[in-house]
Amino acid sequence: MTRVVEVPTYFDDRAFDQFAQGFGAWPPDARILVDAHAAQWASPYGLIGMLTAGQALAEAGAEKPLLTVPKADDTRRYWAKTGFFRHAEALFEIHGKVPRTAPDQTSDVLLDVTPVRASEDVHAVVDRIQDRASLMMSEKLHLEAKATMGFAMALSEACQNIVEHAGTGGWVAVHVYTWRRRIGRKVVVIAVSDAGLGFRRSLETTQSKRYGDRWGDASALEAALIQGVSRFRDPGRGQGLAGIKRYLTRWQGKISIRSGTARLSIVPEWDDDVPLADQLPFFPGAQVQVVIPAQVPEP
Amino acid sequence: MMVQTIRLGHVLRETVSSPTRDLVTRPTGAAVRTRIRDEMARSSCRTMALDFSDVRLLDFSCADEIVAKLLVTVPETECYVVLQGLREDHVEAIDHVLTRQALAVAALPAEGGPPGVVGRVSADARAALVGVGRFGGGDPMRLAPLLGWSEDRTADALQLLALLRLVHVADGTCHPLTRS
Repeated sequence: MTRVVEVPTYFDDRAFDQFAQGFGAWPPDARILVDAHAAQWASPYGLIGMLTAGQALAEAGAEKPLLTVPKADDTRRYWAKTGFFRHAEALFEIHGKVPRTAPDQTSDVLLDVTPVRASEDVHAVVDRIQDRASLMMSEKLHLEAKATMGFAMALSEACQNIVEHAGTGGWVAVHVYTWRRRIGRKVVVIAVSDAGLGFRRSLETTQSKRYGDRWGDASALEAALIQGVSRFRDPGRGQGLAGIKRYLTRWQGKISIRSGTARLSIVPEWDDDVPLADQLPFFPGAQVQVVIPAQVPEP
Repeated sequence: MMVQTIRLGHVLRETVSSPTRDLVTRPTGAAVRTRIRDEMARSSCRTMALDFSDVRLLDFSCADEIVAKLLVTVPETECYVVLQGLREDHVEAIDHVLTRQALAVAALPAEGGPPGVVGRVSADARAALVGVGRFGGGDPMRLAPLLGWSEDRTADALQLLALLRLVHVADGTCHPLTRS
């Protein structure tokens, strides 16, 4: 028996719940077919979300899932350019023609889809991105030079959450694109996703008693993102997300974290997202998205 | 007082296998801190100037592992720590982690002059540190009129600076931490 999980036509963070819904209960009781046939576009969040699903299924011992590639040539090429297929081939049985395009370092793909498993990977990610990020953020997003350093810090901390808390590997990707639907400006988007413990399980030992009946995915996210708590008792811990928040406040950025069945966001004025979405379809691990908009509206 | 400069960019290159100028991740920060502690143990100098000049990026985790955790353990070593070669983004990362833990460290401005404070201290202690630097140190009796404060208020502020090891104290007199 095969269960078809349809990839949304326009696959970004808002469409993610539709994607998660497709899996039903975790782990699914049937072989999964991730059907991207009709997909027209995917954000870095969507792309690494698909890889996370493949990874979670593999780690749950499920039969290797199937993936159909997008029918649209442009979409296929873009996904290839992001490095998506290179990693998907290890996690999915792929059906359809995959373009043999090398990841494009001159495009708006600031960081192609990259696995994060250890601290060395975080060093490599930070090292690779800084020069290009500096150029792109000043030329395309009109951000001051010091915003680039904060951006690299945010990227480093977001990736470290995987290494420190997930208990397994994950993925990161950074793209720049014009976000016409929501803000009408260029944005730089960091997406980080893992198939690991998730925030609730990570914090359960130290925080669940404090919350009592309220304890769940939503309160775990609130504890981590709003109150800056960590599973470690070390008072120096929990600084990463707090630092990212501080950086985003300065540059009118947005962070949203989805874990299990909840999503918590720090919503800037330009967005109409809800701060907390609870009782969402379950999805394993944690997915973080950081968005920094261009500072000057384009003509 | 003798000051030993520890170039963090150099320590970093000796610590990690890949060539990098980025102080990122907790394991890297912890490894760099261990090397600094070893250097402190070997050195005959009581003041260690941590020089960030060659560091491109400092993230919050590394700022915590290197600076905050070092400050917590420094009183056991009888050493003083001062930072130099900091850029604005380095200061922000360090200030963020120290403020959350009610810690503070002296920092020498790139343009020269007496040290300032990064982290959390009272307004009086911050002003007194500026006074100690500007007036070349002294005891409460000398510094009180220069600061325009009472002797008691000056003594309280200097005592806090001494406890936080933001000034040298010898024979009841406070001295600014100087650059190497």
